[in-house]
Amino acid sequence: MVMLYLLEKEFKQFFRDSGLPKMAIAFPVLMMLVFPFAVSMEIRNINLVVVDNNRTVASSNLIETCTASGYFDLVGVSDDPDWAMRQMDRNKADAILTIESDFDRSLERGEPLPVAIKVNTINGTKGSIGSGYLTSCVQRFYAEHAPARQSATTGAQLDVSPKYYFNTYLDYKMFMVPALIVIAITMLTGFFPALNIVSEKERGTIEQINVTPVNRGVFILCKLIPYWLVAFFVLTACLLIARWVFDYSCAGSIGLMYFFTAGNILVTAGMGLLISNYSDNAQQAMFVTWFFMMVFMLVSGIFTPIASMPGWAQAITYLNPMRYYADAMRGIYIKGSTLADVWTDAAGLLTIGTVMVSWAILSYKKTT
Amino acid sequence: MGAIEVTTVSKRYGTCQALDRISLDIQRGEIYGLIGPDGAGKTTLFRILVTLLLPDSGSARVEGLDVVNDFMAIRQHIGYMPGRFSLYQDLTVAENLDFFATMFGTTVAENYGNIEEIYAQIEPFRDRRAGKLSGGMKQKLALCCALVHHPSVLFLDEPTTGVDAVSRKDFWNMLYRIRESGVTILVSTPYMDEASLCDRISLLQKGRIIETGTPAAIVAQYPHRLFGVSGKPAYPLLKFLRRTPGLLRCFSFGSEHHVAVAPGTIQPAELTTQLQAAGFHDVVVREIEPNIEDCFMELAKEERQES
Repeated sequence: MVMLYLLEKEFKQFFRDSGLPKMAIAFPVLMMLVFPFAVSMEIRNINLVVVDNNRTVASSNLIETCTASGYFDLVGVSDDPDWAMRQMDRNKADAILTIESDFDRSLERGEPLPVAIKVNTINGTKGSIGSGYLTSCVQRFYAEHAPARQSATTGAQLDVSPKYYFNTYLDYKMFMVPALIVIAITMLTGFFPALNIVSEKERGTIEQINVTPVNRGVFILCKLIPYWLVAFFVLTACLLIARWVFDYSCAGSIGLMYFFTAGNILVTAGMGLLISNYSDNAQQAMFVTWFFMMVFMLVSGIFTPIASMPGWAQAITYLNPMRYYADAMRGIYIKGSTLADVWTDAAGLLTIGTVMVSWAILSYKKTT
Repeated sequence: MGAIEVTTVSKRYGTCQALDRISLDIQRGEIYGLIGPDGAGKTTLFRILVTLLLPDSGSARVEGLDVVNDFMAIRQHIGYMPGRFSLYQDLTVAENLDFFATMFGTTVAENYGNIEEIYAQIEPFRDRRAGKLSGGMKQKLALCCALVHHPSVLFLDEPTTGVDAVSRKDFWNMLYRIRESGVTILVSTPYMDEASLCDRISLLQKGRIIETGTPAAIVAQYPHRLFGVSGKPAYPLLKFLRRTPGLLRCFSFGSEHHVAVAPGTIQPAELTTQLQAAGFHDVVVREIEPNIEDCFMELAKEERQES
């Protein structure tokens, strides 16, 4: 009875708040509709300048192969290397492809192609991916245009054709959708409970609750349950947007995604309550929550693979609840992982969650 | 057994001694006032008694229950109204009342008789959000919420601060009626004029009790004669009085200056002559009865001299 009333009160306050219900809808929708496009790691529109010292059919075929790949925007073709460098200095060119004057003869003879690639690596990712694309364009061109006898004389050629499992076309949006769900849910369920308890502190209402005989575990639980429902709502909304807008569907069990989301709320809401217990006002709670959220997000494996972090950073990620949640959500959504595949994530998440909530309840002292 | 028994309770915040060996014995059905300026330790004592704060030393019992060991049991018996309005501003009047009744495991209907008289005044606004009520209305709602579970001891921390004079009078009338039903009321106030409305009072100064008793007894103990002096111009008059030999204490009190003199030293007529000779006009000097504030100023001064 007391619990029902506490819950009713939380819901009334949530829906009467001028901002919270709108935030709970707008935030995930924006995340899902804007970010898959904006934070793409796919590199397109690389500005290419070609220094063509050969000026033959062969060299223009190579240029065509590059531009036809769809990754490059041809800025200009010239025979002046200084002009090309100037374009790069002015940030007009990301890559320079230099074709030497003996290009067509080398091609005919089947010799290594006299081609040079220069890339602008101010943006390291764009530079290295750009040079990769350019190299593969040249290789493809060589494979197509080199004389047939060449392969006969040099013997069998190694032809490596990668096959990408689970995300066949290396679609970055597909990769990011479950990660964005993770971020949206973690942010909402991390901030809301923290600010909720702190606002009761600031308004003094917590004192009124504290002089009642209400059990503190019940009180804390009633703070958690509404955010559980908010998170389920957000997850459902995100999955539907992924379905309707991107035409993606979850490869694994949707029920398992809800299970992990529930576990994640245990962690984030528990952490939010914990922070609010130690904060005197909303600013403090905001800042501390923000700090932890940023750290969690950056070392969660969402943006950069954990395997490529240095050893000590990898060790820290074992304490990061978002690591488990993100790993499991991606596994389930993209690969169709089952609980048997991601049980370690479940164990990690639930352990941290139990610790957080217990700590939150214990540190929520009614008497000081 | 008293309703509230406090034995040498002390509480320190860092270097600030908020409460210094406070002892109180409050009887059932009393309206007991804690009178003192801001920072005297009233709220700290309240928070200890309503089980929100642990004392550093000493012990306190409410209805025979220890505030540290039996804190859960105490919460069933007490109603607490903090100095700051602290109900849910985004819930309506009726929702707040329902909520607090439920938190105490009871219902509004069960205890309606207890709050009827006060609630009747805010009933027309039952669907208005608490945050949108006027100051007096908020105070009545807070009192209803503190009474809704039929407590036997009511703690009111500065209930009349920031409330207009008419509402304050109303409020005290409500307190008298609550007392009639046998409820013990501990009320704190910085307003000295409210002290005389209590059955018994303790004067608090810097965490220490400087006097305890009925308002009449405290006033009767006032050791000096007291003159009310007025004249123009007022401020130079105060400065002049403070320089005049034979006058013990002088402070401004509304439109008058209160002047304490040792009995048998100077008569009002003599003082009038002196002041007129000094060039003040419209001089009136009359003998007055001391009030609680005069006593407080006197006692606070002694306390300062001792320490």
